[in-house]
Amino acid sequence: MSRIKSNLPRVLGTVAAVTLSAMVGGQAWAQEIAIGAVVPSSGPFAEWGRSNTVTLKMLEQQTNDAGGINGAKLKITILDDAAKPAQAASSLRKLAGDEKVLAVAGPLTSSAAEVTFPVANEMKVVSTSQASSKPGVAKLNRPWAFRNTIDEGVLAKTTVPFYKKAFNIKTVAVIFDAKDATASTVGKVIMPAVLKANDIIVANENDLLSFNTGDLDVSAQVTKLKALNPDGVVVSADYSQAITVLREMKRQGLIKPVVGATQLISSAILKAAPEIPVIAPATFYATMTGPAPEKFTATLTPLLRKESGLPKDIEPSMYDANIYEIVSMYIDAIKKTGVTGKPADLEADRTKIRDHLAKLEGFAGLGGPIGFNDDGDAIKAFYVLQGQNGAWDTKVKGCSSAPGHPAC
Amino acid sequence: MLIQQLVNGLTLGAVYTLLALSFSLVMGILGILNLAIAELFMIGGYLGFTLITAGFPLPVAVLGGMLGAAVIAIAIEKIGYQPLRDAPLVTPMLSTLGFSIILQNVATNIWGSDPAQLPDEYFGKQYSLGPVNIGEMQLIVLVATVVLVALVAYIVQKTPMGRALRAVAENREVARILGVSADRLTMLAFILSGSLAGVAGVLIALHYGTITPYLGVEIGLKAIAVMVIGGTRQIWGALVAGPLIGIAEVLTVAYGGSQVRDFVVYGFMILILLLRPQGLLGGARSDQGQRV
Repeated sequence: MSRIKSNLPRVLGTVAAVTLSAMVGGQAWAQEIAIGAVVPSSGPFAEWGRSNTVTLKMLEQQTNDAGGINGAKLKITILDDAAKPAQAASSLRKLAGDEKVLAVAGPLTSSAAEVTFPVANEMKVVSTSQASSKPGVAKLNRPWAFRNTIDEGVLAKTTVPFYKKAFNIKTVAVIFDAKDATASTVGKVIMPAVLKANDIIVANENDLLSFNTGDLDVSAQVTKLKALNPDGVVVSADYSQAITVLREMKRQGLIKPVVGATQLISSAILKAAPEIPVIAPATFYATMTGPAPEKFTATLTPLLRKESGLPKDIEPSMYDANIYEIVSMYIDAIKKTGVTGKPADLEADRTKIRDHLAKLEGFAGLGGPIGFNDDGDAIKAFYVLQGQNGAWDTKVKGCSSAPGHPAC
Repeated sequence: MLIQQLVNGLTLGAVYTLLALSFSLVMGILGILNLAIAELFMIGGYLGFTLITAGFPLPVAVLGGMLGAAVIAIAIEKIGYQPLRDAPLVTPMLSTLGFSIILQNVATNIWGSDPAQLPDEYFGKQYSLGPVNIGEMQLIVLVATVVLVALVAYIVQKTPMGRALRAVAENREVARILGVSADRLTMLAFILSGSLAGVAGVLIALHYGTITPYLGVEIGLKAIAVMVIGGTRQIWGALVAGPLIGIAEVLTVAYGGSQVRDFVVYGFMILILLLRPQGLLGGARSDQGQRV
């Protein structure tokens, strides 16, 4: 016993030396942690992709300035999918196959996610969309697909009752973008069902109006909306397309409150027809209060305005917040689950990240705690906003899970 | 509602007419489809938009859009057409497709992909005639279309330059023997076509009050259909086919739904190609692409 005691310092020294040698000489940790991202830096959603890119570069620098991940540098490889589903899928294949990334943030749209998530499953790499909100897109592609977004069906159940009460809505007319996967589902399925459940009559229930992405002229549809004389209008479209509808509504004198999905949340839409109230849900918006969102906005805004090449009044969007949270969750997983980042451990590392996300609860997101449900969609708080006269204002707080969940 | 829809259709038709005329100026004379015209329309729109929001009056914005688009048209002719004029017809067309994509990307980089929106103070007055709503810019677009078509028709039909253009379109070798400079006229066709697209871009962007780098994609295809329906060699064909397609499209959306709109427009185009390839106002001879 006394011999052991006398040799203890030497034994401990040997153990420490062997461990250190394994860590440094044997490279227990990779020098670099590779994460991928698929964003639309060109094409119709370039605005979002470019601001996503600046956001990711900011996060990369913040992480590396703080010492990296377990001493390894974070490297985010960002590929442009131009919001084209096939390009998104091949980008993910390149990131997973050639770049050997541990996980992928993106793609942005539901149309791209529908095609890309099956590839993520095939390549066995986590892919988390920052904007897709069409119901069931991640659910169909378990276990590797996730979305840091809330199903539009869940959001509409809180949004519509507020809309009804705030504007005394009894009848609405619906117009949607038929070429956009989310907009089409919200306009044709989700909104009519939720409106009906709230005793709101859809004046054009059997003749829902639609237009196509990129249409400049929606005068025929708006003339028809006007003839229906509804109390309000459902505009289900990405904000860039919804602007065309709102401008035409204003031109034809159809000043009625508009309700829609998360796709409407943008500072740009508030300029289209400032006198028309726009009601839509969001999990983050630039004027959101609280230490985390205020710090995020204060840090990112000047970078966006300097580096994105976008209009001078650009502000962080919900999708910037979402992609920031996605990569932050990956970093959290890497730190907590012993991910090494070594080529030999690639498959095991990817699995560790996937399993960590699947069980995640109470991750500190910008708008509150985040977890994931069994369908791969985020459980997080959301807010019903009213946009009017150039600003968004929170009206109702909701949660994508039953009350009592840590995210609520 | 029907009268309002007819007004909507006429305005949309005016857009198609101006752009179809732009396409047919190059198509009729050189026999090539300049696919970058839709983007000249978009760039013209952005330039006009920028000038208007900077405080310049409408005529300056129109002139700016026209000149900007004309300058780019010259570049396309010099770089994308001239070196390829002896190549098969499809080659310069593909070259203009390349320009089209480049111009979209340039516009995205300069103005962003978010729709640019005209401030409220420039939105223009709206007039109500009973149940019909018509905007100031809408009236300007309709009047300008008729004036521009007449002006182009006058240039092509009555001026020495127009006669030379028609001579080249008819037979370049004979025209050359008669001392007509084919190179100069090719450039002129590009400039005229670009200017017209630029003016159309400004007027339309100001009418709708919003513009994106992808503005030309959808409208450009419809304008090509209008050109085919009217007759690729007929200036007046665009004036007939534009409103026809505009009204047909609007009424289809209003009474049949937007899903069948493109079916009607492009179905009609295919029908014309099959039954009357020279177009509604074309003569008996079908068009044959000629090279300068």
